[in-house]
Amino acid sequence: MISRRRLREALTGYAFVLPAAALFGLMGAYTVGYGLLLSFARWNGFARDWLWVGLDNYLDLLYRDPAQAPIVRDAALNTALVMIGVPVLSVVVGLPTALALNRIRRLRATLRTVFFLPYVTTGVAVFFAWSYVLAPAGSLNTILGALGLDSLQQPQGFLGNPSTALPTLIAVMAWSSIPVAILLYLAALQAIDPQLIDAATVDGASDRRVTTAVIWPLLRPTTAAIVLLGLRDALQGFQIFLLMTNGGPAGATNVLGLQAYKWAFFSDLRPTLGLASALGWLLFVVALLLAAVNLRVLRSRT
Amino acid sequence: MRIRLLAALTVTALLATACGDDDAGDADTLTMWTFKQAHVEPLEAAAAEFTAQTGISVEITAYTPDDTFKSKLQTSAQSNDLADVFEVHAAGEDFVLGGSGILADFASSVDDEWHDQFVAGVADAGKVDDARYQRSLKPEAPDAGIRTGQLFSVPYTIGTFGVIYANRSTLEAAGLDPANPPKTWGEFISWLEATHAKDPRNGGLTVGLKSPTTGLNWLLEPLAYAYLGKDDYQALFADDKAKAFGSPNGQKVLELYDQLTPYWMPGTQTLSIDDADRAFAQGRAAFDLGGTFTLSAIRQGGMDPSDVVYFGVPPAEGGRSAELGLAPLALTGLAISAQTSKTDAAVKWLKFLTSPEQAAKFAQASLDLPGTRLDAATLGPDLGAMTEIFGDAADGAYDPADVSFFSPAYVDTTAGETLIRMSPLNQADPAKTNAELGSIVATSWQG
Repeated sequence: MISRRRLREALTGYAFVLPAAALFGLMGAYTVGYGLLLSFARWNGFARDWLWVGLDNYLDLLYRDPAQAPIVRDAALNTALVMIGVPVLSVVVGLPTALALNRIRRLRATLRTVFFLPYVTTGVAVFFAWSYVLAPAGSLNTILGALGLDSLQQPQGFLGNPSTALPTLIAVMAWSSIPVAILLYLAALQAIDPQLIDAATVDGASDRRVTTAVIWPLLRPTTAAIVLLGLRDALQGFQIFLLMTNGGPAGATNVLGLQAYKWAFFSDLRPTLGLASALGWLLFVVALLLAAVNLRVLRSRT
Repeated sequence: MRIRLLAALTVTALLATACGDDDAGDADTLTMWTFKQAHVEPLEAAAAEFTAQTGISVEITAYTPDDTFKSKLQTSAQSNDLADVFEVHAAGEDFVLGGSGILADFASSVDDEWHDQFVAGVADAGKVDDARYQRSLKPEAPDAGIRTGQLFSVPYTIGTFGVIYANRSTLEAAGLDPANPPKTWGEFISWLEATHAKDPRNGGLTVGLKSPTTGLNWLLEPLAYAYLGKDDYQALFADDKAKAFGSPNGQKVLELYDQLTPYWMPGTQTLSIDDADRAFAQGRAAFDLGGTFTLSAIRQGGMDPSDVVYFGVPPAEGGRSAELGLAPLALTGLAISAQTSKTDAAVKWLKFLTSPEQAAKFAQASLDLPGTRLDAATLGPDLGAMTEIFGDAADGAYDPADVSFFSPAYVDTTAGETLIRMSPLNQADPAKTNAELGSIVATSWQG
């Protein structure tokens, strides 16, 4: 009797899972398999036949093709800078803000909402708004001029100067990722047992010592999660680069995700879809390695 | 029993829907897709007249931007769900789609009478000639599958690159005479110098360098063509280091182009083509580089076309040509799906759209030059005057549609970015840029 009931429960469970599994089988697995096969082919998305090229796409991207490999190399360098810049800024700005928010009593909810606004408003319109702010005659240059900081003004706009374009985009990306960092840190801070803080204080530890020796180690898993999210955004997210600079000026802000998109859709119908797919798979491998490293860090510390 | 009946009816209905053939569903309705939102309204107006005359209705849909249009074509082709008729990029995209079996070859439907309606020089833009066929056989060619003699599109809109627009009021304020536009490159640079001196912020030149090929395709190439002559210009991109970029010829034309560097509108390298046209229309630049198609964008930006002066890229002193004509090329073409069963109705619609009467209405509504031959009076004062820029490629005019001398592996985006690093970014001098462009051209011929 019990076994029949268990069987029925199990079947009911599988019945609930089946639609999602079937959908993934049809859409997810098919797409992944299709993409993998495409990375071994040369195709422009329209031709009747794929030209199988084996590992050529991967080798061309990595070193062999004198036209494509330098593009990948430059984009990889830019992507690496974004992968460092965005997570570091998220932690460096997010943690102190969360600590401050955790300590104050008045206006905490209001400030939390204010700090979270960039996350909920991030989107195409916001990126265009940033473009206007950062333009040569934009409000940032105007404000700097009004403050007498003329030397910091950018006559070509912050996105028009190759030296400032990438740091500016990193700052805009961080602006939209910091709210999540603050939220995660706040949740983690509120989960810390107050007795631990009290014990350290009774033992004579200063606020700074409590923060560095007690709170920071306990927040390490959260920091790892924030860093991972930042890395993921840096590796996969190219919307901001596409909309605000299209990789320019002159390739100064080209990143790997954007380059894959360009090869897929903006190559004058050349047979570069396979290259785009191969680059996507290379990005996937990097993301997998980073996730594994992150998992190891989490396991070892918690 | 009732539930079973209901279930059976539902299944039957679903099967009927799944197996139904949309294409055959409504013989009196054509579907048409375009990638140009601005063309939807004039096309719908034409469709209404077409329906009144023939009883065949046409549903127009725009898919923008370009990548959306291409993905729509790609996915619909695989699911046999294409429209009957398309407006596509001419002299390139039409061949790719034709070679892939998405567009129909309707060469046999274009008789002499229809063919002769089109502007000379662009009438065969959608037809595969032997040179294009030979080029399509190379491994990097995107239009594999085409055959000599096939025709995949007829010209719908035409134009040319290398047209410079100037703000009449700004010119007058700088003491320049808009009635006598610059005849030489040196004069043009002196005009830029004058407007820039009068207003450094708003007196410069703009073009949408966010698309890196604009400066290269629209200015450097016609400038180089006029200065070096056709053969030496084409040799800049050839597999001959003595004459290709990297040679003294390349150095000279880059030095000419570099004279623009002080006079670009601030931040023009961050602007899209539309942004640049809008900036010009709003008075933030004295000059706007574009093509014949730019006039409609300037008008959409709120500027009266009568406030605009325009002229072709002027030839440099000491070059081969003292005058530079710009040959027209087909910008968009009308094409028929290879999957449609309504070819006769589609051909009828294409003939209707390209008739002189409809082409005139389209030109006046869109300020785009039609591929159908019309006199200047019919085109109206703005577009009619624009056709004076055109020259005949057979008489030595610069023909932007001629890409036969490029390596199939040549990627102009990379070359365009290299050019931007020289001007406006000033990160490289002409010598360094020349060497880098030489390397790009040489690489394109390897393998």
